[in-house]
Amino acid sequence: SPSSPAPSKPLYLCSPFVEAALVKGNFKTIVVLPKYVDVMEWVAVNVFDFYTNLNEFYGVISECCTQQSCPAMSAGPSLNYTWINQDRKSVNLAAPTYIDYVMTWVQNLLDDENVFPTKSGHDFPQSFPATIKHVYRQLLRVFAHIYHAHYPQILHLRSEPHFNSLFAHFLAFGREYQLLDVKDVRGAANAPVGTGMLWERWTEMGILDA
Amino acid sequence: SSDKSKPADYVYFERSPAGFSDDAVPRAKAAQLKLEHFYKVAVDAAIERNARRVELERKLQADVMMSEERKLRHLQQLGRKESTFLRLRRTRLGLDDFRTVKVIGKGAFGEVRLVQKSDTGKIYAMKTLKKDEMLKKDQLAHVRAERDVLAESNSPWVVQLFYSFQDAQTLYLVMEFLPGGDLMTMLIKYDTFSEDVTRFYIAECALAIEAVHKLGFIHRDIKPDNILIDKDGHIKLSDFGLSTGFHKQHDSSYYQRLLDSANSVQPPTAAARNSVMVNAIHLTMSSQDQIATWKANRRKLAYSTVGTPDYIAPEIFQQKGYGNECDWWSLGAIMFECLVGYPPFCSESTHETYQKIMQWQHYLAFPDDVHLSREAEDLVRRLMTSPDRRMNADQIKNHPFFCGVDWDAIRFIDAPFVPNLRSITDTSYFPTDEIDQSPAEASVASAGGAQDDLAFLGYTFKRFTISSQAF
Ligand SMILES: Nc1ncnc2c1ncn2[C@@H]1O[C@H](COP(=O)(O)OP(=O)(O)OP(=O)(O)O)[C@@H](O)[C@H]1O
Repeated sequence: SPSSPAPSKPLYLCSPFVEAALVKGNFKTIVVLPKYVDVMEWVAVNVFDFYTNLNEFYGVISECCTQQSCPAMSAGPSLNYTWINQDRKSVNLAAPTYIDYVMTWVQNLLDDENVFPTKSGHDFPQSFPATIKHVYRQLLRVFAHIYHAHYPQILHLRSEPHFNSLFAHFLAFGREYQLLDVKDVRGAANAPVGTGMLWERWTEMGILDA
Repeated sequence: SSDKSKPADYVYFERSPAGFSDDAVPRAKAAQLKLEHFYKVAVDAAIERNARRVELERKLQADVMMSEERKLRHLQQLGRKESTFLRLRRTRLGLDDFRTVKVIGKGAFGEVRLVQKSDTGKIYAMKTLKKDEMLKKDQLAHVRAERDVLAESNSPWVVQLFYSFQDAQTLYLVMEFLPGGDLMTMLIKYDTFSEDVTRFYIAECALAIEAVHKLGFIHRDIKPDNILIDKDGHIKLSDFGLSTGFHKQHDSSYYQRLLDSANSVQPPTAAARNSVMVNAIHLTMSSQDQIATWKANRRKLAYSTVGTPDYIAPEIFQQKGYGNECDWWSLGAIMFECLVGYPPFCSESTHETYQKIMQWQHYLAFPDDVHLSREAEDLVRRLMTSPDRRMNADQIKNHPFFCGVDWDAIRFIDAPFVPNLRSITDTSYFPTDEIDQSPAEASVASAGGAQDDLAFLGYTFKRFTISSQAF
């Protein structure tokens, strides 16, 4: 797969890529809850869209995200995410396997009438907010891995304005509805999430609200 | 700009698609286009949602008689409708959600059937269009235009589109069902209309055409078969298959370029750039200017030759470009047919018709055995004339032939023929006996890749309706 010499700073933090954006202006316009609208429906449709759009881009990158290229679900120089399996044991998975699990799991939730109701008269379950937070955390990991491990490929495919805007929108939305914990965005001090820095840079630049 | 103005961390990156599979670049392009489309729609939806709320708030505020409690209930009701609309976006509609009652029409790329939505029991007309046929015949831009006219309009003169969706082979347009059939069928039945009846239909058509023009579209194919009759006997326009909007998506060559750019390596000039140029989408809601600019950009002339000729204006055949006046010519030809019983240039062959239209000065004649009032003949002649002399909407409305017509109320008066319907699924005004009722055979899955799919971007549509009828 295509590669280029690794600079000291990740490419996604460097100019001109860090400021590349499809969507200009404050995300508030499309993030705030429309007046009188049910917050559950609003969060549900937005999560649905984030998943669909992220899946679209990962679908393109996936040929470069293999067992060989990505034997771990990395998101920073010293950070590999682990997957909690059915026995509640934390296991190391190759990134493509990990992401496949995440995407399949989210797709199944979206298709589950008991979790994401679509028929009239069906309500959201009590557990919906907790489920959404869980989904959001896993989608953040997929973004974080793509930034950390596949940003050169995003650049080769000229997709950085699009991918940046999608991620910035995702972060803005997650913040507005408290779907993201700061510790998940930044990671631990000894194992920072690469995109934590991006979040800071975008906040400094005014792309995201402080 | 020089390198001195670049930030210290400015990085040059040599872009190359070399390490990817053949499919990766077009798929990346598709993902980008989908995301662009997504954000455009998101911004538009936010603007529209906002407008609906502001409108209701203003209306309630102006109502001094209504209690605060009731006002709040109205606002909450709007909120529920908006929420239902959001839910509809997550709902994957498919063919299974509709049950066919009867096939009521056939077209070049598919058929029109009367259907019932399984969960709500609501009745619709569903038009199916075969993707491969459309790709083969280069009809994409046309169908795109149809979907857009129907989707953008809230006009009572245009058939409403409620849903559109697609599967691998087919596009589906789910529209309101107009049970009264079409004007062609009616003309076949009555042969000619009196001047009073003609006045009614032509006046309604004039308003309908004006409404389409106000949306920024040219219909280009107005003919009696596209003038549908609703349950009360009033007309609506349908079949925008040939209508040309001013969106660049309606231009067939636009698709070709889209597909080409997705298929090929970037042009060398683009490859040399370090940063990617995008048409940024601005998240501003308040800007009337932006909407105005966008609308103004649609006001380009359209060039191309189309369709069956009887009602088509001569300038359309001359590759010189034309404006929306062409629809007024068609109205003249329809009016002629209503009064005379056949269209002005009807001939043995389409070729002959075409030649007569080109030399309309010689061939436009009223038969001696039909008596027309002076006003009627004058109006037809002022519609069927060269584009620069043709009447516009306002002139038409003020023409003596329409003396006494209440333009604001015509849709609310009693129509000359009101369909006599026994049920909401009554299809007696459609020639269903002449149409093969056997279910369409499942077509073999085409091997269309990312490129083919790209051409059908933006077809999935769900209408927001205040009247919750659609849900
Ligand atoms: N919304 C509707 N309600 C009732 N009948 C309809 C509706 N839309 C279409 N029809 C019937 O189906 C017939 C064919 O529809 P339409 O003209 O839209 O399709 P088409 O023939 O495929 O178009 P084209 O002229 O581009 O080939 C119409 O003449 C009309 O009788």
